[in-house]
Amino acid sequence: MTGTLTISAARPRPAGLVARLIRRPSAVVGLALLGLVAGAGLAAPVLYPGDPLDMIGAPLQWPGMDPAFPLGTDMLGRDIAAGITHGARISLMIGAVATLVALVIGVGIGAGAGYYGGRVEAALMRLTELFQTIPPFLFTLAIVAVLQPSIPTIVLAIGLTGWPGLARLVRAEVLRLRDGELVQASIVIGASDARIIGLHILPNVLAPVVVSASILVANAILTESSLAFLGLGDPNVVSWGGMVGAGREVIRTDWFVAAAPGLAIVAAVLALNLLGDGLNDALDLKRALR
Amino acid sequence: MRMPAGGSAAIRRLAQMVSVVVGIAVVNFFLLHLAPGDAAQVLAGEAGSATPEYIAALRAQFGLDQPLGVQFAKYLAKVLTLDLGFSVRQGLPVAQLILDRLGPTLLLMGASLGFAVLAGGALGFVAARHAGRPLDTAISALALLFYATPVFWIGVMLIVVFSVWLDWLPVGGMAEIGTGRTGLAHLGDVLRHLVLPALTLALYYLAIYTRLTRAAMLEAYGQDYVRTAVAKGVRPRRIAYRHVLRNALLPVVTQLGLQLGAILGGAVLVETVFAWPGLGRLAFEALFQRDLNLLLGILLCSSVVVVLANLAVDLLYAVLDPRTARA
Amino acid sequence: MVSKGILGLGGAAFGLILTAGAALAEPARSGGTLTAIVQPEPVILTAALNTAAPTGVVSGTIFDGLVDYDRDLKPIPALATSWETAPDGLSLTFHLRPNVKWHDGQPFTAADVKWTLENVWTKIHPRNQVTFGKVTGVETPDPLTVILRLGQPSPAILSSLNSNGAQILPKHLYEGTDPLSNPYNNKPVGTGPFKFKEWSRGNHIVLERNPDYWDAGKPYLDRVVFRVLPDAAARAAALEKGEAQYAPLSPVPLKDAARLGGLPNLRVETTGYEWLSPWLFADFNVERGPLKDVRVRRALAQAIDRAALARVVWFNFGVPATSPVPSTLTDFHAKDTPAYPFDTKRAEALLDEAGWARGANGTRFSLEIDYIPYGDDFKRTAEFLKASLRRVGVEANIRSQDTPSYTRRIYGDRDFDIAITWFAAFSDPQVGVTRAYWSASVGKNIPWTNGSGYRNPEVDGLIAAVQGEADPAKRRALFRRFQEIVLTDLPTLPLLELKFFTVEAVGLRHGARGDQVYGSFRDFRFDGPAPGQSRASAN
Repeated sequence: MTGTLTISAARPRPAGLVARLIRRPSAVVGLALLGLVAGAGLAAPVLYPGDPLDMIGAPLQWPGMDPAFPLGTDMLGRDIAAGITHGARISLMIGAVATLVALVIGVGIGAGAGYYGGRVEAALMRLTELFQTIPPFLFTLAIVAVLQPSIPTIVLAIGLTGWPGLARLVRAEVLRLRDGELVQASIVIGASDARIIGLHILPNVLAPVVVSASILVANAILTESSLAFLGLGDPNVVSWGGMVGAGREVIRTDWFVAAAPGLAIVAAVLALNLLGDGLNDALDLKRALR
Repeated sequence: MRMPAGGSAAIRRLAQMVSVVVGIAVVNFFLLHLAPGDAAQVLAGEAGSATPEYIAALRAQFGLDQPLGVQFAKYLAKVLTLDLGFSVRQGLPVAQLILDRLGPTLLLMGASLGFAVLAGGALGFVAARHAGRPLDTAISALALLFYATPVFWIGVMLIVVFSVWLDWLPVGGMAEIGTGRTGLAHLGDVLRHLVLPALTLALYYLAIYTRLTRAAMLEAYGQDYVRTAVAKGVRPRRIAYRHVLRNALLPVVTQLGLQLGAILGGAVLVETVFAWPGLGRLAFEALFQRDLNLLLGILLCSSVVVVLANLAVDLLYAVLDPRTARA
Repeated sequence: MVSKGILGLGGAAFGLILTAGAALAEPARSGGTLTAIVQPEPVILTAALNTAAPTGVVSGTIFDGLVDYDRDLKPIPALATSWETAPDGLSLTFHLRPNVKWHDGQPFTAADVKWTLENVWTKIHPRNQVTFGKVTGVETPDPLTVILRLGQPSPAILSSLNSNGAQILPKHLYEGTDPLSNPYNNKPVGTGPFKFKEWSRGNHIVLERNPDYWDAGKPYLDRVVFRVLPDAAARAAALEKGEAQYAPLSPVPLKDAARLGGLPNLRVETTGYEWLSPWLFADFNVERGPLKDVRVRRALAQAIDRAALARVVWFNFGVPATSPVPSTLTDFHAKDTPAYPFDTKRAEALLDEAGWARGANGTRFSLEIDYIPYGDDFKRTAEFLKASLRRVGVEANIRSQDTPSYTRRIYGDRDFDIAITWFAAFSDPQVGVTRAYWSASVGKNIPWTNGSGYRNPEVDGLIAAVQGEADPAKRRALFRRFQEIVLTDLPTLPLLELKFFTVEAVGLRHGARGDQVYGSFRDFRFDGPAPGQSRASAN
């Protein structure tokens, strides 16, 4: 939209990226936290082989009351620790897949608009504006309510409403690249549009997109928890949002039921944002879109 | 990039508004009709019992017995003549319902955004001036923490601490009812009710503006004209305020325009937790009651607000950055 | 709580009925503002046109019924001072209270009753079209007498005459209009103890004392404010702080209710809901898959530990149900009906017998569970059923949806296996229970009717017979037979008799009628200083 959004052209080589990344304390903390969350998710089937939705204990046991349930049990006597670890898989999956949906749409529309310009650009950007004008959370709510809440519809709804910022970012990047020497030279030698976009443009847009993606994953996890708070979760799987949503009824008496998954959400969102910041710095992007 | 100013911007925004309004009408009309059940069924369901005659009477009354295409054509024709129609569920004109709720929502959004921009800007400014030092780290960490905590969670916790434990502020609502307060006393009452919801909604955006301001300031510090100023021996404080902050405000203002739509979404959660009689909650309820006219009306109004805000942003840009005015 | 005998005597004797422990000699304290919580916000404020619970709560104190109901669900005089049923059961005469005025000053007369019956109850009221279905004519020989002529005896009418069951609208404001869109639905004019003052949508509804109320000296309060608080935690906090003093219809999470009840300033009351008698049940779709087989339905019934469901999910705000007719309906509830005690071994044996042996993965078959989206208690009930069925090898998938999607799925599309919901049984099973079994409503997309798809001509015959039977003993026998059959065929599994509750300030006193939740606030008053009192006296 404006000149301040342009991102500097210098791109480090990947090998240097890791080195740069681990020199940033925020990135290290973010990576460590994310590793912890992902590790918990990976270890879940080993640590808690049963179904985390099984009612295996007395309901509402406080953490520490029974060594078998270090984080206590919820209203139906389900193990909260098992829920947190299994929930890590679901919540990260929701974040990742929803982001993928947003990426496909956002990069597609942004690249199309930036590369082709003219009427295509006008039409695509009008569409983007339309999506940006409808309050995104309200739109997500509407889609989930209409399609009825389940993991696939939640993921789809978050993805469908999450892309406009990305499209703008990609368009701005593509606009800059399109007028660059490399692309102009390719056009002169008669390379096809697909080839130019695939070979010369998208790889160069990758860096800011990756940074945005880490933030989008974080936002998707937050959105899922907000949906669950409003009662639009999927009761067949454990997700952190669903756990917080279930725990809010006993928040005054047994706050740990909502606190534990709430902290897990904070940790994951924090990790992804720290990582995004770190990547941003390491890739020497001046600013990525939020 | 091009950034039209003045009259042409207004015309462009107006054209944009019309196409967005039509777009929203189309998207939502058909989206809501994908949903099983209609308003007649909601009413019948809420009634606890019903007969086929009762449902048929409701349907005929609401015009839901007509073909979808006819319903849509009628709706679109009305929207284009600025008639938002009648809420079948609430038995009142949509425009009246929205006007009743618009004030509280604008107050909540204005207070939250105002606080977020001012406090976030200040924090970001301080952080940027202490970049890399502990104060910067502390501010950045705090901002991230606010950003990462679910809004509804903050809201519920604020109620527990400030309303129940400390008993400083009311639990919810917008004013004490039936006190007959007027003038300043009434204003004070509303402000007391506003504190917690506005703070809840603000913390998330505070985090965003802190980060944004900090980043924009740091970027501005790298610009040639700032370096020149430093080389010329201008005092750092003067540089920070006169050169850097002014330029750092541009992205903040841009973000403000983009964020208005998002903040109404956040208002759904905050208004639910604090019983704030605003548009967000009204929209949420309309959705579940299949109150199509009302939901569309709210979405249209909010999009008009967003478009107008973007127009204001364009104009503000011209003021803040003389370069765009020449473009 | 209340001595029952004195209640039947008449409206004039009603003034001094107090909650337990109250000294009768203590003068009734007058004045003050009662802040109540109503959730969700009502759609309109006339229960004659919308029988949803929140409308009933607000509307119940703006309007009066012909009668109220005591704790034993016997009618007691309100707008009707007395009534007689003819010996042949074919006419019903009401004598109306003289000198009653609508809030706009017009007199209340028999013409209002006749008009409402002919134009609202039998035309658009969702329940009364059946209840008053046998009315062939209404006569008003004088302004204070109403005679209903009946084609068949209709004893259920006497169970549905309070301000919620059969609300009377002012003829002079409704005649010649479309009742459903009459503007007075949003600013009602009634005869009740409180007058409508203001409704700020999404915010509050304010009612003011009716100084010309027929029950002299009442109401005691100056004003009633209903606040709309959508979040349960905020409702609990408002009650805890004393910002609200009365919140009916289970306003807070069940777990929180126990906590609030333990606070010195609040009490949790489960009386006042007898007229509703809510029951929780699971409809089995008898037209689909394994559930077509009654053995499977019985097996699933025995796989569910209803006592644990009451304890764990409903925090004992419910007791296991043995019949669709709740035990609170003492006249009609049948004991010794076919029972399905919790016994997973028996359940597994029945499933094996029905040909659904466990497969290689331990699963016999899978099905879908849908639940009424009225709160987390119902969702957790679904989760409880899912976990219970899993133990006997039946895999369940829970589906969430909003109310219109739910009613469409269950009562229209019939695309479900097990549906969890609740009905109000009301004081006569004819009004609230038989609708779940009557075959004529299957698949007609009418919410809260026969969800299971059960069709049994004998049951339909019994349902028709109880409607036209005047002899109480014969009706009891018919209902007993009805319960035996539907509990043998088990298209619908009664789970719990729910106990709704009210959270109220300990200083708040009121009578305890069986329909108090939808009743008027005429005897509500505060013990000691009332909220808003000082301001009222200062004015």
